Amino acid sequence: MVLTHTTNHSYTHPFPTVTLAFFLRYYSPQLNPFSAHVLSTDTIESHVDPETGRLYTTRIHLKKSRMPSAIIKLLPTSVTGGAGEKSSYVLENSIVDIKEGWMKTESRNLNFTGVLSVTEAQHYSATPPEQADNSALSPAVPRFMSPNTWVSTTFSYRSTLGSRKADKAVASEDNSRGRFGWISGWGAKRIQSSIESIASNKTDDQIIKSRDGMKMVLERLRSNGVVAVLRELNRREGKSVFEA
Amino acid sequence: MSASLAPECNEVKERYDTCFLKWYSEKYLRGNGKTDDNECASMFKEYQKCLQVALKDRKIDKLLDEAREDSKDYDTIHLKRK
Repeated sequence: MVLTHTTNHSYTHPFPTVTLAFFLRYYSPQLNPFSAHVLSTDTIESHVDPETGRLYTTRIHLKKSRMPSAIIKLLPTSVTGGAGEKSSYVLENSIVDIKEGWMKTESRNLNFTGVLSVTEAQHYSATPPEQADNSALSPAVPRFMSPNTWVSTTFSYRSTLGSRKADKAVASEDNSRGRFGWISGWGAKRIQSSIESIASNKTDDQIIKSRDGMKMVLERLRSNGVVAVLRELNRREGKSVFEA
Repeated sequence: MSASLAPECNEVKERYDTCFLKWYSEKYLRGNGKTDDNECASMFKEYQKCLQVALKDRKIDKLLDEAREDSKDYDTIHLKRK
């Protein structure tokens, strides 16, 4: 089963600035106080498609785990790794098309997947959703004249606990029924949907925080350019940047 | 400044990040960032040389492979209706 949750929002900032804020949102807790749970951010892929001019970026974020403690308590320590594993890796893929004025992003957890897979898909656009459908017909108002950016966010929650695939992933040494022999059939289904709904109940809170974080970055970018923002952050950390 | 998951890569990462953000805001967003062969390319290479080792050491490369497999499954199930 998959539980999904979609929300729409608009930022009162132009599309290019919003995409920049997306890349900057975990840059520093000084820039975004809601990013204190992000321990590290790394880029593993970045390229521009020469045909389309689209920018493809893949990043890995290490976050203090947001796996709700109610779920952790449901699970045997063989799955959670005891109290030790408190952080999770998140894989983030994004595509920016600056010509067409849209950005698509998708983030998913890399560990704990034997328990719960959370995917956050976002679609940012310089065009409001109701106009997007017939934008091919209406002669383009230059998109970047738009002072706003629209974003639709969909969270999907899928618990694979007790399924064959999850068994394979976490219990390779147990060859008979997997480590999840203790939950099977309808029991497993019930636990799976509990996990999905506990996790999805956290969504609203999470969306508000990430939105507020984006807004703080956007405000900083509005009053200063990115270079000034970075210089200020680095000055506070006692480093110089762009000195060359 | 956000850290790298591998502290030993922090320095090269920081140099790349700074370059990327400058390139992104001053060139790409203005429609001038057409190729991969930009001023940040050599810094990206240095950064990846360091990072790839760290990803292997921490077995994150395996997690990445699994995620790619998984997203193939996910796409076949969920994108069919489109």
